[in-house]
Amino acid sequence: MSTINRELPEIKAGGWRCRKCGRDLQPVTVDLTYVGSSFRVELPGCPDCGLVFIPPELALGKMLEVEKLLEDK
Amino acid sequence: MDKETLQQFEAQCFQEEPPACQTSCPLHLDARALAACLSAGKAAEARKILDRHMPLSGLSAYLCEGPCQAGCRRQELDRGLDLPLLERYCLSRTRAARFMAMPPTGRKIALLGAGLSSLALAWELARKGHQVRIFHQGPPGGRLRALPEDRLPEKALSEALEGLGKLKAALAETLYSPEKFKEIQADYPIVFLGGDDPELRPDLIGLRRADIQPDPTTLLLAGGRLLARPPLEDGGHRYIDDLAAARRAAGSIERLLQGVPPDSARAGEEVYATRLQVNLEGVAVKEPAPPADPRRPTEAEAAAEAGRCLQCQCLECVKNCVYLRHYQGYPKKTAREAYGLISTAFGIHTANTMVLSCAECGQCREICPNGADLGRIIGLLRQQMVETGHMPVSAHEFALEDMLFSNSIAFFRHQPGRTRSRWLFFPGCQLPASLPRAAARLYEHLSGHLDGGLGLMAACCGAPARWSGRPRLTEESAAFIGRAWAEAGRPTVITACPSCTLFFQDRLPDMPLKSLWTVLAELPLPEGAVTGPPLALHDPCSARMDQATRKSARDLMAKLGQPFSEPPLGGRLTRCCGYGGLASAANPGLADDFARDRSADTEAPLAAYCVMCRDRLRAVGHPTLHLLDLLFPEKSPAEALKRPGPGISDRQENRRAFRLNALKEFWAEEPEEDQAMDVTMHIPEELAELLEKRRILRSDLAGVLKAARAEGPQFVNRETGRHLACLRPRQVTFWVEYSPRADGSFDIHDAYGHRMLVPGVPGEGADSAASREGFDPMGGRR
Ligand code: SF4
Ligand code: SF4
Ligand code: SF4
Ligand SMILES: [Zn+2]
Repeated sequence: MSTINRELPEIKAGGWRCRKCGRDLQPVTVDLTYVGSSFRVELPGCPDCGLVFIPPELALGKMLEVEKLLEDK
Repeated sequence: MDKETLQQFEAQCFQEEPPACQTSCPLHLDARALAACLSAGKAAEARKILDRHMPLSGLSAYLCEGPCQAGCRRQELDRGLDLPLLERYCLSRTRAARFMAMPPTGRKIALLGAGLSSLALAWELARKGHQVRIFHQGPPGGRLRALPEDRLPEKALSEALEGLGKLKAALAETLYSPEKFKEIQADYPIVFLGGDDPELRPDLIGLRRADIQPDPTTLLLAGGRLLARPPLEDGGHRYIDDLAAARRAAGSIERLLQGVPPDSARAGEEVYATRLQVNLEGVAVKEPAPPADPRRPTEAEAAAEAGRCLQCQCLECVKNCVYLRHYQGYPKKTAREAYGLISTAFGIHTANTMVLSCAECGQCREICPNGADLGRIIGLLRQQMVETGHMPVSAHEFALEDMLFSNSIAFFRHQPGRTRSRWLFFPGCQLPASLPRAAARLYEHLSGHLDGGLGLMAACCGAPARWSGRPRLTEESAAFIGRAWAEAGRPTVITACPSCTLFFQDRLPDMPLKSLWTVLAELPLPEGAVTGPPLALHDPCSARMDQATRKSARDLMAKLGQPFSEPPLGGRLTRCCGYGGLASAANPGLADDFARDRSADTEAPLAAYCVMCRDRLRAVGHPTLHLLDLLFPEKSPAEALKRPGPGISDRQENRRAFRLNALKEFWAEEPEEDQAMDVTMHIPEELAELLEKRRILRSDLAGVLKAARAEGPQFVNRETGRHLACLRPRQVTFWVEYSPRADGSFDIHDAYGHRMLVPGVPGEGADSAASREGFDPMGGRR
């Protein structure tokens, strides 16, 4: 599933910062899971608490595509 | 679904049966394909078809008398297709393909006589690598030699003989005698008598005519190694029968050489009536134009004749089903493909969407002359997908959540002031979602006229669970209703929605049912009922088999004095609006095409008595009203025809409102107000439309905002000051970008969701596919 990582469009943090930690977002590594498959990707997230930011173009684009792919497997 | 079920179904669809021309040709030549090639100007392709079906095509195609012509379906309209003409044209423009003989087998076969049957048989056998010898007396060709040049060009015979020579089939001139015949039989384990050669008189080889009565299937004579095309009676000879005899003998010889009983698996070799159904309605008469020179038709003449071919097919159901057309299938093919793809353990299940896009509406079954019911097979395949864990979780989730939502606010009450119900009104989940006020007025009307007490039960019948292929959820949903009905004292249930009726008939067979439309047709009209402009009455697919309900709807229209017409394909053959089988959940675009098909049927505004039909037909732009819009009007019929159907959030809120208002108005209860919406949101109109498409409810947004109000949003934008909050209340994570206003309300800028699990997002939703049915009812919003 590491291929998904390379296919991800570059995600800009667009001025968002973590409300709790007050930190600007930086690339963090995170494991996404769907219907039992997990894969590791790099996304903008809080360097302290690790919460990642999912923008609409990712949720409705690549993520949806991968969800469909995994559902059809 | 097992293989056997598939095969039984496949046997019901006759689309792949050969056309009438082919089954009336003793060689089963594919005339339909030949005509298709020639009308497209592809003579070389056409020649390949000839070569494939006809032994020594360069000779035989001149000779065939064309019995297919009488069998051709065009014969019923004008004249059967002139295949002999097309074949002659083919010969005049093309050369036979070179056939490579197979490696020698060393098997020896003797043929006596050199008439057409022997030549054709020699060709069949020599190609297989067998060692063939034709013993003949006089010049080879037999009676062919006597044919005039314009019936059979001399060249055709000499080239055929040459071709046989190339295949190493040897011609041996001989003098027939009983001794010679014995000698040949001693030398050759298999011998064929070509009785169509007049030189081969039985007496010359020591036989009586009566001795030559071969088995009609195998052409074998007693003894099992002598075959014969019997000597000809006077008159009635057809060259096509010589060719058919050669084909039959070749089949027997091949079986003998392989040690297989010569009569095994020979069905279908004879001429028979095809089962392919062809609808000739509306086909224009087109007499053939005889060519200037019948012996040498021109390209244009051949193409014109070939163009008269109807390219016979059935596809009756396909013509009327947008789903089958979209997937370029027909029931046999679609079932086979879907079964194959669903049953593979590995790889991508590309058939998923295909299986989930059928409306399971039963139209194909009713149109098909054999009653082939693809919808039933699709239902079984969906169950199989669920059982094997291949059902995409997302496809039906929203619809099932919606169903569970309806049941989370389900209620039952006896009629006010009563403790028993002889009747129970069941409006279903969609009527209160779309017409909550009319539904309340309806209850009032019914309860004022029916004796013995009319209870009210608001819930979802459970049909969506079945459409989604989930047996457990279906069972639970039916049991939920079944229990409530039993507790209500087992009253007769009055259903507003024909889908509820179907589902209850199937799952709760003890439940006495009566259609709302029948009840209404029997009662006096409600006060205030109105009539509208002339309407076309649309039957829902779920009333396809419910003649009584369909009749009641018409009776009611008549009683009302509402002028109405019947669109094409109504009643038993009616079209689905695209909601059936949850097609609209899995494939919204295609489902809209179902509604568009219905819309295209008529210019007249439509009247529906299923509220989903009404809303879906309106959604594709067709002016449509519901019968209740006339019986309990809130607006004029003209406005009702244009009223947009409610969105997904409105539907849920309408159900809530129906419940609250009914409990207050009829039972004077003070139900606790719902807490879900105590968040005020400002949603721009374009965003509201997007949320509709993304299937995000206002209550979903409210959930995220309430959590953010308590815990704070996850992100804040240092440039715009906007907030971004996320929550995973179920198997979906929602993100909302918003700005809080000073008054505590929220401006919503964007909202979206994904199903992937992202660590750190608050909420209880797990990863999808938590249960075998891929959908955990308990994980729903309850
Ligand atoms: S119309 Fe064409 S396909 Fe149909 S029976 Fe005649 S030749 Fe065959
Ligand atoms: S949508 Fe209806 S008519 Fe079309 S294949 Fe399915 S059940 Fe048959
Ligand atoms: S109507 Fe449809 S299902 Fe029936 S034989 Fe024709 S193509 Fe097949
Ligand atoms: Zn943080």
